[in-house]
Amino acid sequence: MSSLGTARELLAEFPVVDGHNDLPWALREQVRYDLDARDIATDQSAHLHTDLARLRAGGVGAQYWSVYVRADLPDAVPMTLEQIDCVRQLIDRHPADLRAALTAADMEAARSEGRIASLMGAEGGHSIANSLPTLRALYALGVRYMTLTHNYNNDWADSATDEPNAGGLTAFGRAVVREMNREGMLVDLSHVAATTMRDALDASLAPVIFSHSSSRAVCDHPRNIPDDVLERLPGNGGVAMVTFVPKFVLQAAVDWTAAADENMREHGLHHLDTTPEAMKVHRAFEERHPRPVATAATVADHLDHMREVAGVDHIGIGGDYDGTAFTPDGLDDVSGYPNLIAELLDRGWSRPDLAKLTWQNSVRVLGAAEDVARDLQATRGPSNATIESLDG
Amino acid sequence: MADLQAELQTTTEVGALDSLPDPFAAEEPYTPVSDPDTEPLERAHAILAAHPVADGYSGLPWALRHLPWFDLELGESSVDTDVPRLREGHVGALFWSLHLPESIGGDRAVGATLEQLDLVKTVVGAHPEGLRLAHTAGETADVRHCGRVAVLLGPAGAAALGDSLGILRSLHALGLRALTLSGASWASEAGLTRFGEEVLREMNRLGVLADLSGASADTVHRAIAVSKAPVLCTRSAARALRPHPANLPDDLLAELGAAKGLCMVPLTAEQTGPNVRDVADHLDHVRAVAGPECVGLSGTYDAGTAHPQELADASCYPHLVAELLRRDWTEADIALLTWGNVQRVLRSADFTARAARERREPSTAKISDLDG
Repeated sequence: MSSLGTARELLAEFPVVDGHNDLPWALREQVRYDLDARDIATDQSAHLHTDLARLRAGGVGAQYWSVYVRADLPDAVPMTLEQIDCVRQLIDRHPADLRAALTAADMEAARSEGRIASLMGAEGGHSIANSLPTLRALYALGVRYMTLTHNYNNDWADSATDEPNAGGLTAFGRAVVREMNREGMLVDLSHVAATTMRDALDASLAPVIFSHSSSRAVCDHPRNIPDDVLERLPGNGGVAMVTFVPKFVLQAAVDWTAAADENMREHGLHHLDTTPEAMKVHRAFEERHPRPVATAATVADHLDHMREVAGVDHIGIGGDYDGTAFTPDGLDDVSGYPNLIAELLDRGWSRPDLAKLTWQNSVRVLGAAEDVARDLQATRGPSNATIESLDG
Repeated sequence: MADLQAELQTTTEVGALDSLPDPFAAEEPYTPVSDPDTEPLERAHAILAAHPVADGYSGLPWALRHLPWFDLELGESSVDTDVPRLREGHVGALFWSLHLPESIGGDRAVGATLEQLDLVKTVVGAHPEGLRLAHTAGETADVRHCGRVAVLLGPAGAAALGDSLGILRSLHALGLRALTLSGASWASEAGLTRFGEEVLREMNRLGVLADLSGASADTVHRAIAVSKAPVLCTRSAARALRPHPANLPDDLLAELGAAKGLCMVPLTAEQTGPNVRDVADHLDHVRAVAGPECVGLSGTYDAGTAHPQELADASCYPHLVAELLRRDWTEADIALLTWGNVQRVLRSADFTARAARERREPSTAKISDLDG
């Protein structure tokens, strides 16, 4: 049998748990949550990386839907509630394909029913507006991980892509981590500064995750995980879920993006500007300098290294589909996972290792967070800490 | 399969009517639980033991928010409500208000409401022998049968929605069951806007009761017309007896009665008067104008208002019921006043929601589309 055939067969038994998919934000931006206008029961390849048929083709068995909201707008909490409502509606609309999952047991139940376990992850501590009661409310609504920051620092944690401020986590930041432990919400360290990763690993009593981050040793980008942090995962029990975003995983793409951003600034434009004139400048640059293309092999390089450093029990997958403009060749949308598994088979990865990568590690880590929460709830009540009382 | 049926259905002749049960069968007559020859206060206790109070409004969440420490199970003197006094007053269920001070508006209202919901959950969880959360009529009855006091979440202020139906659905998922239709651009003095009507339809679909206390007369008219489920006034007395903006004039009371809504009379000096007889006067009046199925009680304790003499805290309901017995209220009417009417409204809201969800998808309407 071809590697691809074997990969599909493996995924039928141990499907992919994907750590991060931005479909809800894409639905908000494209059609303001008009779910009939982007019906994922039909082919959406013209608009989205994600629809049900392609999730099935990709062998996806569990998906953390991101309830991301922008950090630069004032009303993050209300918008997060709308994102959560969107995910709940998606689950309600497609009961044959999606199943709401709040626990590791729910994920296993979904797998045996042949449905896609649907979980929620909040992307950025700004979604709780410095309030532990709000954190608990998000948990009650079904959110099962929170990324501590997005692209910018917040009041209690430093981001990987912002200037150092707190130097990691503040006292309140550590209280947030502990309250997440008590609730059973996974601490997600994608997007955060390396200092924050280390502080969170020190503070957390439960395993942590990286919902969509790759290896910094393979490709030097701040969004990736340094080796000293990967080395701590066996002790912590956590899982680093490799991401596919070319500008984080391919060194040539990192350099190209930096040059393209510099070019925009030389033209007096902001590097994220998407107005027609800015896009014209950008396209002219792209004509002179062809954009480097990542492939499944690029991602496999990261997984080889991450398996080496963190161990096979501490790796997973987080594609970041519908959250990135470009994707690697062969991993163009959510139907692409079998190509990655085939590449790993060709590199000699064993079936048990692949089962851990796709399914077992990520299910285990949620179950472990539940166990820690049960223990903590038996010993202490909800925290009433405030940022004013701890950070002054 | 026939042997699994308790009774075999007789086959209907072609052309004859099926022998279905009469859908409009007369209700079972009320069975009295007290001895009419005993003292009114003693009778009141007997009646309330069988038909406890479902109280329409408690300000406890906001009052507790500012206490560093409290124990509702042992007794808490810094508030008017605790488990011993709820038991003494025969309170079987109560709505815990999520209203916020006016200073918390705009963007902050949604987050502050989430914090209030979390607080209620924490408080109820910390008092498992006295309190339990309930979300439906059935759960309310279950909680009572377990000897606990049912806590229902709401009303919240309209600002808690942040002008978004998605947020309404998320708050409903967190347990919210009543929302006051005032204090938002879509439910103002000018009445309900088109978006406001869509909010109400979505509330019907979810099973969130509309609270019209403090809403403008236009909003009350329109809400009664639009709502498929009965509406509530969680804190309204009779304006004919006492002029207060939240009290209802007779025409609205009659309209509410015709729509089988529920006017819950607050036990506050400001709205009803300085003593227990004043409260009874309001109850008499609302019963006369709206009907005995449309009147209820609303303690309004811990909401920062003064209460009539003899009704200082949540333990005092027997005094009020004794006063009603002296005025020749029938036991059946008292049973409706204290428990039956709230159960009916909750059950109607549940039924309406279940039926509406068969017909309607979650609304995607945006305030900018409808109100422009």
